[in-house]
Amino acid sequence: MKFDLNEEQQALAESLSRLLDDHYGFEQRRAIAGSPAGWSEAAWGQLAGLGVTALGIPEAFGGLGGGAGDRLPVMQAFGRALLLEPYLASSVLAATAVLAAGSEAQKDRLLPSLATGEVRMAWAHEEAQGRHAALWVETRARRDGAQWRLDGVKPLVLHAGAASRFVVSARVSGQPADKDSLALFLVDAGNAKLRSYRLVDDTPAGELILEGAAAEPLGEVGDHARAASAIRATLAAGTAAACSDMVGTMETAFALTTAYVNTRKQFGRLIGEYQALRHRISEMAVALEMARSMAVAAAVAVDDPASASAAADLPRAKLAIGRHARALCQQAIQSHGGIGMTEEYAVGHCLRRIHVLDQLFGDVDAQAARLARL
Amino acid sequence: MDLQLSPGETAFRDEVRSFIRERLPAEIRERLHRGHPGRKQDIVAWQRILHERGWAAPHWPREYGGAGLGTAERLILVEELQRAAAPQPLPFNIAMLGPVLLRFGTEEQKRFFLPRLARLDLWFCQGFSEPDSGSDLASLRTRAVRDGDDYVVNGQKIWTTSAHHADWIFALVRTEQAARKQDGISFLLIDMKTPGVSVRPIVSIDGQHHLNEVFFDNARVPVANLVGEEGRGWDCAKYLLASERTNIANVGLCWERLDYARELAAGISQGDQSLLDDPKLGAELAVLGAEIRALELTNWRFLLDPEIGRKNPGFASVLKVKGSELMQELTTLIARIAGPAGLERRDAEGDAALHPLAAAASRYFFYRAATIYGGSSEVQKDILAKTLLG
Repeated sequence: MKFDLNEEQQALAESLSRLLDDHYGFEQRRAIAGSPAGWSEAAWGQLAGLGVTALGIPEAFGGLGGGAGDRLPVMQAFGRALLLEPYLASSVLAATAVLAAGSEAQKDRLLPSLATGEVRMAWAHEEAQGRHAALWVETRARRDGAQWRLDGVKPLVLHAGAASRFVVSARVSGQPADKDSLALFLVDAGNAKLRSYRLVDDTPAGELILEGAAAEPLGEVGDHARAASAIRATLAAGTAAACSDMVGTMETAFALTTAYVNTRKQFGRLIGEYQALRHRISEMAVALEMARSMAVAAAVAVDDPASASAAADLPRAKLAIGRHARALCQQAIQSHGGIGMTEEYAVGHCLRRIHVLDQLFGDVDAQAARLARL
Repeated sequence: MDLQLSPGETAFRDEVRSFIRERLPAEIRERLHRGHPGRKQDIVAWQRILHERGWAAPHWPREYGGAGLGTAERLILVEELQRAAAPQPLPFNIAMLGPVLLRFGTEEQKRFFLPRLARLDLWFCQGFSEPDSGSDLASLRTRAVRDGDDYVVNGQKIWTTSAHHADWIFALVRTEQAARKQDGISFLLIDMKTPGVSVRPIVSIDGQHHLNEVFFDNARVPVANLVGEEGRGWDCAKYLLASERTNIANVGLCWERLDYARELAAGISQGDQSLLDDPKLGAELAVLGAEIRALELTNWRFLLDPEIGRKNPGFASVLKVKGSELMQELTTLIARIAGPAGLERRDAEGDAALHPLAAAASRYFFYRAATIYGGSSEVQKDILAKTLLG
C-alpha cells in the first residue's frame, strides 16, 4: 500500500501551491468571483502553463497520460484556494467523456486543444427531475435527415459560459431512467440557448436549452452500452475530483480555524485555551484525517475500476468525505463566531463549496442508498 | 498511490486466513461472533495454538518467542484475527508488558517472563488506575517502601480487567514523593499469590465480571521484580502506551461487528420483509461501512509511515477516538437491530449463550467503556489539541 504522492506529483503540487499562494489569495478570488465571467482567463492560462489541463489526457493526444491519482493533489490545491476556474467542468468531466465515448478522429480533433487549455468544453448531463440518479436522461435525440437534433433542458452545466462546446447526454428512445437507449453528443455553443447563473459557492454555471439543437454524435449513436459506461466513467472521475477538492476545502477551513482560535482573545484568554474549543478542533482533525484517506480511495477506485474494492470505495469515499466535510466546515464557522458568518471572510465560502460538491454526483444520502443496493 | 497488498502480503494474509479456518475451534468462534467476550480457557487455548505457529507475539523479536513481523504483516494478522472472530493474543502480556520488558527489562527478566507471556503460562493484568487516579494517572498513591531485598507495597488499584484470572500484575507504584508527580513512580511485577494481595470483583453494567479492585496490604515484592530504574516507572508507562499501536483502531473488530449486524438484520423478518430491506437501516449500515473503511485506510496510512510520530504526533489519539466511537455505534446498532427480542437476559454459558441475540444488549452496555478506558476520548482530544494548538 502506498498513500504518498510520487516525486512528479509532489513537484506539481508544490508548483501549483506556490502559484495559488502568490496569485490566488482570497481577495483575488473575491475579485474574480465579482467579475462578469466569474472566472479568470489569466489564472486559467497560468494553470495551463503548469500542465494541469493536460494531466488526464493520454500522451497520444498531447496530454501527460495521468489519472485520478495524479489529479488528487491538483484538485486538493484547487479546493484549498476555493478555485473558480473551469477545471472540473472542462479538464475532468468533458475530457473524460470525450476520451471514454469519442471516436479516434474526435479524440484527435478535441483532446489536444483541451490539453493545452485553449479550448474549454462543458458537461451537460443533469436533468431537472434527475436529482441524484446517475443515468436519468429526458433530453431526446432525433434524426433530421443526416443531422442529429436534441430537444430538452440541461440545468446545472458547470461553466457553461466558458465552453465553446458541450458534451450532452440524450436518449434516442425509452423512459428517463432506461440505460439502454442513451447516447452522447457534441453541441456547439452557438447551437443552444444558455441561461447563465452562479451557484451558491460562486461557481459559474448555466442551463442549456436545446430546441432542435444540431448535434454531432460522440462515438456511435447505436452503441448504448458504451454511452452508459462513458457517462458512468465521467461521473466517477467527477466524484473522485470532488472528493479531493473537498479535502482541500476542509484543509483551508481547518487552518483558518486553528489560526483564529490562537489569535482571538475573550475573557482575557485566547479562545483556543478553552477546552470546548480545543476538543472541537481535535474532532475536526479526526474528520480531516478520515477524509484524506478516502480521497486516496476514490482516486484509486477510478484508476483501477476492476479492483476488488473499487465498486464500494467510490461511493464510500463520497459519503464519508461529504459527511466529514460538512461537519468540519460547520464547526469551523461556529468556532469563528460572528466573523465566520460574513461574506467577506473565507471560512463561510468553504461551507458553500462543500455544499455544492456534496450535491454533485450524488450526495451523502444518495451514496448511502447506492451502497445499500450493492 | 496503491491500496493493494503486495504479493508477499497477500500470501501472508491467505496463510493467516487458512490457518484460522483450520485451527480456530468452532465453539470459540461462535461465542465471539455472537458478541461474547473471550472466556479465559478460550483465550489461553487459542493463544497456545497461535504460539505453536509462532504468531502469539507478532511484534516481538524471534529470539524471545516473537514472530518478528513487520508492520504490514502485523496489521494483517490483527485484522484477520479480529475479522474472523478469533481472540486476540492477551494484550496485557503481548502488547503491553512484552514491549516494556524488551526495552527496560534485565536479561534475566526477559529470559524468565517473555516465553511465559507468549505461551500464556502466566496471565498478567494491568495495575495502573486508582480510585483517585483515572485520567490523571500520575497522581497515583499506591506506595512501595524498600525493606531489605523487598518492596513493601500498600494501596489500591481499580478497574483492573481480568485480575481474577491473573497470575501476576504489572503495577505502577510510588517509591518516592518527588516534586513532579511523574517522578518517583516505579514499575513493579507482582505475583498475585503474594500474601497481602487481594481481589474484589466489580460487576459492570453488562451484568458481567470483567473488572476488579486489587488491594495491597503490606505485600512483599522482591526488588528483582522492579522493571527499569527505581523512580523511572513513568518512562515504562509512557513507552507501554506508545509502543504497540497495531491494536488501537480495532478495524477488524469493526468489520466483524458490521458483518454481524447485517447477518442479524437479514435473519429478522416481519411478514415477507427482511429487516435488511429497510432503507433507513441500509443507509445506516452504508454510513458505518464508509466510516470503517476510512478508519482502516487511515490506520494503514499512519502505521506504515515511519515518520508519522514526527509529522503527526497526535496520530494515535485520532485512531483511538475514531475506533472507539465506531465500536460504540456498531454495538448500539446491533442492540437496536435485536429489538425487543434482545431484551431477555440470557446466560453467557451453555446453549443460551449461542442464541444470536444473547450478547446484543450486554455488549452495547459494555462498549460504553471503549471511550473511557485506555485514555478517555476527552484525554485523547486534549492530547491531540496540544499537538495542533500548542
